[in-house]
Amino acid sequence: MTRIVLLDNEAVQALRDPAHRKHRRVIREVLVTGVRTVRATPIQVAVPTAVRVEAGWDRTAAAWAFINRLGIVDVPLDISHTDVAAGIAKRTGVSVADAHLGAAIQAAEVDQVTVITSDPADMRKVAEGRQVNVVAL
Amino acid sequence: MTAEEAIDRINELLGSTDPATANTSMRIPKPLREAAALAVSELGVAPSTTILTANALRMFLQGTVVLAALELHFEEYPEARPTLAELALAAAEIDGNPLAQRPELLERSAAEIARRHPGASFEDVLLWAEAVDSCEASQRGAA
Repeated sequence: MTRIVLLDNEAVQALRDPAHRKHRRVIREVLVTGVRTVRATPIQVAVPTAVRVEAGWDRTAAAWAFINRLGIVDVPLDISHTDVAAGIAKRTGVSVADAHLGAAIQAAEVDQVTVITSDPADMRKVAEGRQVNVVAL
Repeated sequence: MTAEEAIDRINELLGSTDPATANTSMRIPKPLREAAALAVSELGVAPSTTILTANALRMFLQGTVVLAALELHFEEYPEARPTLAELALAAAEIDGNPLAQRPELLERSAAEIARRHPGASFEDVLLWAEAVDSCEASQRGAA
């Protein structure tokens, strides 16, 4: 089974900042993915690039050094994701970042998609029927 | 090179799209090499033993750098280290396991299993909790 865990803006903020009240909450999810990957049950943690923009996550900035080390990959806002995200934004009225999350959920070529988010309702909305496991922060 | 620098460099290398390959002088036990060759030729687990080996190594390194980065983080922020019960809860959440709605059961199971098996993992806690839940359901049914 192939799996992906997507992060929303607050999950990114919480992960980056040890003083964030949900830091420990997100850390434990990332730790589980690391342990499982070492044990040959890989789980990829990913962030849509529009979420990165919203969060201010600049991979070249020293302030983001810790989170950069966690192997979190980008889901680029490429042509196909942009088209899907544009449709989601038009139909649901969510932000660009959330629409990109929706596109990432819908386009993920994996067996199981999990989203760590502070807004579970919006994530279910942007999934538009795609099976998604929502972890509420 | 510091541990942080090593992690950064490993991540950089793992993210590289450079297609160049290199012959290595790594010595692999002969039986392991034969087992890998059979797994490829007879079970079709990968297109080649090279790809099988590279994928396994990549996966292990990807997980290892995450754990190494978190260990360094926990040295600086020990309060950020999750408990066994919290890890079990996180695993249940990621899996969409109904046990994610039973944090008190996971807490109890983690405490029990840690007492009996000090090296238990969060996966063990999930199994333990499922067994406890099943037993308790049977007892309720019998009563």
